Amino acid sequence: MPVTVETPIEKWNGKVREVTLGATQAEGGTRTSTVTVGGSATLPFLHFEGSVPHRPVIAIQIQDVDPQDWSPALRAAWGDTTKDVVAWAKKAAELGPDLIALNLRSAHPDAGNRGADEVAQTVKSVLGAVGLPLIVYGPGVAEKDNDVLVRVAEVTAGERLAIGLCEQGNYRTIVAACLANGHIAIARAPIDVNIQKQINILINDMGLPLDRILMDPTTGALGYGLEYSYSVLERLRLSSLQGDGMTQMPTICTVGEEAWRAKESKVSEGVPEAWGNYAERGVIWETITATTQLQAGADIVVLRHPKAVGLIRKTIDLMMAQ
Amino acid sequence: MSKFIATAAIKGARAIVAQAEDEVKKAIEKYGTDQRVAFTNTAYYLPTIYGLTGNKIETLGDMLPTIEHCKALVPEVPSDRLWLPYLGNALDAGMATLFAEELIEGVRSIGAASGTWPEKAPWGQYNGSIDDIQLRSWGIQLVDGRMPGFAAIVGTAKSTEVAVKIVRELQARGILIFLSAKSEGRDGKKSITDQLMEAGVELGYDTFTVPFGSDTISAVHALGFATRAALTFGGVKAGQAEDILLYNKYRSMAFVLALGEVDELKYATAAGAVSYGFPTIADTAIPNIYPNGLTIYEAVVSMPFDEIPGENDLERAEKLVQRCIEVRGLRIKVTKIPIPVAYGSAFEGERVRKDQLRVEFGGKRSQCFEYLRTVDSESIEDGKITLEGPDLDEVPDGAALNLAIVVDVAGRKMEKDFEPVLERQIHHFINGAEGIQHIGQRDIAWVRIAKSSTDKGFRIKHLGEILRARMLGEFGAIIQKVQVRLYTDPARVEEMLKVARQAYHERNVRLADMTDESVDTFYSCTLCQSFAPTHVCVVSPERLGLCGAYNWLDCKASYEINPSGPNKPIAKGRLIDPVKGIWEGSNEFVYNNSQRAIENVTLYSIMESPMTACGCFECIVMIIPEANGVMVVSREDSSMTPAGMTFSTLAGMAGGGLQTPGVMGVGKYYLTSKKFISAEGGMKRIVWMSSFLKESMPEELKAAAEREGDPELIDKIADERSVTTVEELLAWLEEKGHPALTMDPLF
Amino acid sequence: MALSGLEIYKLLPKTNCKECGQPTCLAFAMKLASKAAELSACPYVSDESKAALESAGAPPIRLVVIGAGNKKIEIGNETVCFRHEKTFFHQPGIVVRVKDTQSPEAIAALVQKVSDYSVERVGIQITLDGIAVENASGNAQTFAKAVELVKSKTSLPLVLLSQDAATMEAGLGAAGDSKPLIYAATSENWEDMAALAKKFNAPLAVHSNQGLSGLATLADQISKAGVVDLVLDPETPSANNSLALMTQVRRLALKKNFRPLGFPMITFPSRFASSPEEETIVAAQNIAKYSGVIVLDNFDPTLVYPLLTLRQNVYTDPQKPIQVKPDIYTFGDPGPNSPLLITTNFSLTYFTVAGEIEASGISTWLLIADSEGMSVLTAWAAGKFDAEKIAKAVKTSNIVDKIGHRKLVLPGFVAGMSGEVEEELPGWKIAVGPREAVDISAYLKGIWTPN
Repeated sequence: MPVTVETPIEKWNGKVREVTLGATQAEGGTRTSTVTVGGSATLPFLHFEGSVPHRPVIAIQIQDVDPQDWSPALRAAWGDTTKDVVAWAKKAAELGPDLIALNLRSAHPDAGNRGADEVAQTVKSVLGAVGLPLIVYGPGVAEKDNDVLVRVAEVTAGERLAIGLCEQGNYRTIVAACLANGHIAIARAPIDVNIQKQINILINDMGLPLDRILMDPTTGALGYGLEYSYSVLERLRLSSLQGDGMTQMPTICTVGEEAWRAKESKVSEGVPEAWGNYAERGVIWETITATTQLQAGADIVVLRHPKAVGLIRKTIDLMMAQ
Repeated sequence: MSKFIATAAIKGARAIVAQAEDEVKKAIEKYGTDQRVAFTNTAYYLPTIYGLTGNKIETLGDMLPTIEHCKALVPEVPSDRLWLPYLGNALDAGMATLFAEELIEGVRSIGAASGTWPEKAPWGQYNGSIDDIQLRSWGIQLVDGRMPGFAAIVGTAKSTEVAVKIVRELQARGILIFLSAKSEGRDGKKSITDQLMEAGVELGYDTFTVPFGSDTISAVHALGFATRAALTFGGVKAGQAEDILLYNKYRSMAFVLALGEVDELKYATAAGAVSYGFPTIADTAIPNIYPNGLTIYEAVVSMPFDEIPGENDLERAEKLVQRCIEVRGLRIKVTKIPIPVAYGSAFEGERVRKDQLRVEFGGKRSQCFEYLRTVDSESIEDGKITLEGPDLDEVPDGAALNLAIVVDVAGRKMEKDFEPVLERQIHHFINGAEGIQHIGQRDIAWVRIAKSSTDKGFRIKHLGEILRARMLGEFGAIIQKVQVRLYTDPARVEEMLKVARQAYHERNVRLADMTDESVDTFYSCTLCQSFAPTHVCVVSPERLGLCGAYNWLDCKASYEINPSGPNKPIAKGRLIDPVKGIWEGSNEFVYNNSQRAIENVTLYSIMESPMTACGCFECIVMIIPEANGVMVVSREDSSMTPAGMTFSTLAGMAGGGLQTPGVMGVGKYYLTSKKFISAEGGMKRIVWMSSFLKESMPEELKAAAEREGDPELIDKIADERSVTTVEELLAWLEEKGHPALTMDPLF
Repeated sequence: MALSGLEIYKLLPKTNCKECGQPTCLAFAMKLASKAAELSACPYVSDESKAALESAGAPPIRLVVIGAGNKKIEIGNETVCFRHEKTFFHQPGIVVRVKDTQSPEAIAALVQKVSDYSVERVGIQITLDGIAVENASGNAQTFAKAVELVKSKTSLPLVLLSQDAATMEAGLGAAGDSKPLIYAATSENWEDMAALAKKFNAPLAVHSNQGLSGLATLADQISKAGVVDLVLDPETPSANNSLALMTQVRRLALKKNFRPLGFPMITFPSRFASSPEEETIVAAQNIAKYSGVIVLDNFDPTLVYPLLTLRQNVYTDPQKPIQVKPDIYTFGDPGPNSPLLITTNFSLTYFTVAGEIEASGISTWLLIADSEGMSVLTAWAAGKFDAEKIAKAVKTSNIVDKIGHRKLVLPGFVAGMSGEVEEELPGWKIAVGPREAVDISAYLKGIWTPN
């Protein structure tokens, strides 16, 4: 007796909001292309159930000072390019990512403490060197973030950058700068759905439209809390599909940064043989972290290693093929 | 709207529109229609006109349609016999006035190249319109809250001294100040700017004080600033007049302070400001306009300067500024607490030992209490801190003094019910100071102050500084004013203690009197969803949060203070079952906020759809079927229970956001509630209870037992000291004649 | 629908005889409800109750056991689609494939490596789970020899791959009573394969590339023929459709209680991969989404270690967080004047704090107290990280032998108990660190001094 199986489809009444990064000349910016993320009306890659109008995208992360603290395995992949942020940006763009994520590390008190004007010029020159939309991260120290990101936002008005990070303790100034200059704010919460929702609401309350907010629910690297961010991403996606407008922003995951912090990616000596080959380990660590975040609902993954970019792009191809 | 004001505004508008028409025409005659007009460094043309109408005025010729627009807008002056509502007319007149004023300033800008605009003064030069760069820089601070708002001061203060005091008071709160106009008849025809310059006050962008010009016309730049703020930060496009006005009503915390006589042009300009939601506070006698929807609170407030209560003009000036802050609802933050010792969470747990002790209040040797109360806004002065009695440097080392800490707060959204919530924070706030230790609350408070702190200059009034700064910082959403009275004089302490104790008593009664039936809203708590994603606490007046930390009032206050936080109101909705405690509203809320995992929840039953728990419960209730009752084990009790399981094993069943009939995690004070498993018969079902619970709240349990009609009940309840198995329990219950044995079967 | 503890209790004898090992019938009922006990432990339950309980309690996804030794692969019995809803219970077996066309030496060497592979992660030894032997030669004897060889080299469970029943029988013969997974029954061979599964008392994989209806029809036929320990392989040519089908199988089983598909699944990541790295990526997706047995073609520690780590992560019970071992941890090369920080043994707390200390570049001692796996605030609220526990952690460690100063830095969130800790640890200075880990670097660099 043949058994007939009815495809089990969940009826969702919401979807992830679409957010477009970057603005072309016609739209008031200088980007040669824009990137739209979000829009999914189902769980990641479940094409049978609902529309997945946009691919998840890849950003390559670079920074404006030579990252001497990065894992040697990662530094080796980029060579000398990392000494010049513009050259680095160009080389990254050649790898075919969707976005460039620029860390303004040089403004950090530990890394040169550069001032807002100088750093803003760096952003301008990166914009001049590549046509991709840009994500810009401040140094992560509240006062400096507020100082530097405000200036960056001003000199790049209209470019529709994604700017971060806006956290519960410090978001108002960055959001104000986004408001005034047509940028997108990245809202970060510490692996907590409710705090994420709260910061989203607070940012929206300031008047920033919902289609100019991205959520960064904090990424845990493989072996270092991955399961928490995995579940938070799934819960955020479920909540947006269930119609909660305040969790429907697309998600961005700083995979490279976290994965390359793991001991596995950094340390080459005095570790178990069972960990395998040092030169390759970090790439796989980053790739597997990214794969699972995509599976849980990441819309943007920020990567660091060129090889990981290639592998993840292929993975996205595979999961988006119709 | 007062007919008087409406009439004055309309007259003022007609005059200024006529003046504008005249000046524009003359200018065209002189320079031609192609003559360019522009304010300094702005991309927004004449910003008020551009924002509200979308018209880009770049030349004199571009002004002509706006003139016609103004003429069409300005209504007729109402006749003496007409008694209609004038609001619309006056507002139209206000708009026409702003446009006309901006046109005139635009015409004046033609002379900018030759240096006639912005206006020159004996002391230097006025500023005129604010440039876009400054607008962005201040705009960000206004939007992110570093600047609480801006004040447009128009006219002349009673004296130079008063002018300086007003500006200093505003500056001290970080409020941005725009200055324009003068008032005939006050202080020898000086403008407020002249007064300040005379007193040597430094004006300019760096000191947040911008003198626009010496006449009322220049006041339009304040509205131009507000208009551009909406265009820049509000995502609004030019021409979307309503959105611009609403943006300013809700987001630009601005107000007009009219000093001196209010003439017709000033009324007309104020009418324009009211459309932006900016109220006017006048220091002369004019009609008041109460809240009318345009402004959040009052629209026009008259506070005749000489009638303001106060020792002298300086005090009066201070009160005038405070009133402005209230009328607009500005949120003031104290960024640095003005005390001579370090302050921060790092000092919270510090102990002050005997050998370090300078003075102590409370404890065994003296009386100390704290009392926070809501008072009428008029009767307090924000920031006022008084001490009656000896200070720290007036008594010997190691002394014990009585101390009363009385905190008066006022705010538009403050409710009497929030008093205990705020008062409980006193402990936390005071403890943050280096070398100060605070224990307890209410009339069992105990404060110790270390020698090292008094050596650095710490005095009793600094307690007040801490409390004001922290209260405004944490609760600025509901309170605007904080005044602290401190007493060490024994007689005064005694006197205030009576007042405080009466209040404590009233609060207790109020809380005891509140029932689930008496409110139509419960509150949720989803604080713990980070580790129990499906758990939603429903907190009602008669069932506090299971962690014991949040009762209904706490949740309510928490929601008012932080509407996007973990506590949300739950409208009860239709009552489904009064016995089990089921409402449509609570079911729906729990369903939608538990990831749709929990469909039904009862508030009063352990057997059917009991409330879930996260893991933070103070105690666990579990049925003992053999005894036809329930046992309650507290977190502190690690011994074996008659259920055959210890607290930690039971916790695995009760927690995690799972609905497990028969087991429930609760706050311990819920045990004494009338609604404690009332569906199953209430407190009389308790057959066993950890001795910790009996000892930690004997009075409350006794009172509840009496209420339940069995005063001896507590003695009939077994505990771990005598009973650890079901068999022993049954024997105990038989012996004591426990009521559960004869109640209806549990199932 | 699962019964609540109370409903189960009603069906029990209510004698509190304790013979089940539980103190009361209610305690036993609660354990049954949370699937932490077996009904068979109750000697007195009536047949009527037994029937009622068993039908209600039958798991929607059958528990299938592969292997017979002490290293079994137990899969299935899952109750949720998302791990945050409860937890994923039975982690997928990760097995490595050998082919009977490989040389005996190559097979032996690979099997040895796979069997020996073991590494500790957060206190747990993580290992691979089995060997899949594929009949690539087409020859039954060769297959049987290969199986025999593998079996002689390892005690790990086996998966035997052949479409031919006679060949499979030869392989099964060589596998003895080790209950390997038979892969696979298809619409062509299912009757013979089912017979083998019965004969060798082994679980049977069911393969279909005809969509879920084809798979369900086949599985239904086989279970009606009396073979109930099944593992499903819904093969499809595209990776994303594979995810779709596996999601559907899981949903149908759990939400519709659809018995024909109420079994664990097996996946072959190499189907969608053109390199070992890609195979690892697909395997990672299979771990997260619903695979019960994952058959790898490549064994490389560099690729396997991340997969095993991922499996450990995904199958961690969200309600029972992983704990790190209470101990002294070092960062950089700490000396007598290096700072000493303390925090709880919740793994995420540890990782966050450790990451920030590492990033600061300051050599530091980090003392981890036993807080039963709770984060700082939760542990503090639950009394698992109070002054006494902190003092105990300091005293039971040998940290005093390593540092010259006597200064301990508490997490900022428990600033409120610094005074108590000082009383518990006479002679120590108790400093308060930042509340958030992200501020640790600034604290260590700017604020901390040994005095």
